Amino acid sequence: MAKMIPDADAFFSAKQEWKSIRVNTLKIDRDKLLRRLQERYEIKEMPWYENGFFIKGENIAKNMEHYLGYYHIQEAASMLPPLVLQPEKDFIIDACAAPGSKTTQLAMMMNNGGVIVANDVSISRIKALTHNIQKAGATNCIITNYDARYLYKIGIKASKILIDAPCTASGKIIKDKRMAEKWKYWRVKKMSRLQKALIRGAYECLQDDGIIIYSTCSIEPEENEEVIDYALQHFNLEIEKISIHGIKTRHGIKEWNGKKFEWFDKVVRIWPQDNLTEGFFICKLRKC
Amino acid sequence: MQIKKVLSKEEIEEIEKIIERNYGCKAGLHSYNVFMTGEEKIWIVSKDIDFRFFDTIKRCYRIGIYFGKLKRNKKIKLSIEGAIIVGKEAKKNIAVLSEEEAKKFMQGYDVKAEKLIEAEIHNFILVKCKEDFLGVGILRQGYIENLVPKARRLVKLNSNI
Repeated sequence: MAKMIPDADAFFSAKQEWKSIRVNTLKIDRDKLLRRLQERYEIKEMPWYENGFFIKGENIAKNMEHYLGYYHIQEAASMLPPLVLQPEKDFIIDACAAPGSKTTQLAMMMNNGGVIVANDVSISRIKALTHNIQKAGATNCIITNYDARYLYKIGIKASKILIDAPCTASGKIIKDKRMAEKWKYWRVKKMSRLQKALIRGAYECLQDDGIIIYSTCSIEPEENEEVIDYALQHFNLEIEKISIHGIKTRHGIKEWNGKKFEWFDKVVRIWPQDNLTEGFFICKLRKC
Repeated sequence: MQIKKVLSKEEIEEIEKIIERNYGCKAGLHSYNVFMTGEEKIWIVSKDIDFRFFDTIKRCYRIGIYFGKLKRNKKIKLSIEGAIIVGKEAKKNIAVLSEEEAKKFMQGYDVKAEKLIEAEIHNFILVKCKEDFLGVGILRQGYIENLVPKARRLVKLNSNI
């Protein structure tokens, strides 16, 4: 595995000193919140998202602004998939929505217009999703409890689908060094099978010319490039190049286990050591 | 989630009248679709959400956000989000808290108001600190009964809010 990690030493030793938050513009003006927080915390703007900030200080989840839902504590790299999705007044499915960071970000970016079906298979995780949607004041969300692999059976069709897939979360190593000890290859394979099934399910729910954003916080090619390769081979999907500004991104893996990924430069990888965020993989697919 | 009734314009106006009677303002509910579930709970959703959609969705856990609950005697118990919406224009039944009391309120304790604005005893009142509406309580003799739901309470606050 280490052979595909660029600068592996830096990868394993990267540390995150700043937490990240996202302003909830459904409830408060960005600059107003910034002024309030700057009185008590050290704040840095996030170069890739105007509503994201890095924050340093104590108890950022235990103050009035957080209580009121004026901001949401959200990993910096996880703000990227909704930015790539570029929601407008769409009908969107967030297939694996809990605990709702990206869902509430989408609602905010849509200014509560359009419709988001925020789905999750786990009823216990849906409780956190419900809590966060209420707190965000997101009125355009419908929370459903289906296995996203079979969501198409209820007959809904969306113009945009976000699959922030369940994964081994190896990109979280920057937050939890034990991720390396917990790593098991059988888990990677199991997740890869699930992820392929999720993409299949999403494809069935997608309108013609609709978009799927597939993301994981895992670095394994089996959970990323290999899943996209499967989708491109089995479904009528084409890959669209992603460009994100303000954050160091890298291309996908070119080749893995004898498989060549010709489109490797169209997907985006965020490595923990590059920006001191979690690792992320993001891909944009369009139904043709 | 079992929708009991999707409210008509006239029914939404009835709720607006209750809000106006209690807080001296309207909540702008006409800009949402409004529906009720059991126990007279009121929910608001964006206009883009079409209720016919729910004929096909059986495992719908929640739609939109919880606004408040209608009570007897034409009173309304607002959620924190309901209080934030109504608070923007509210003119009466408001309790203003000091920062110290606001901390206690967010932790779930009963509190004392620094100032009351046309507040009616034993009614639901909007609880405010500086410009922020923190939720609702019931004005009792000499104190405000806390109605912050357990899941929203803060266990421990920064010394400086």
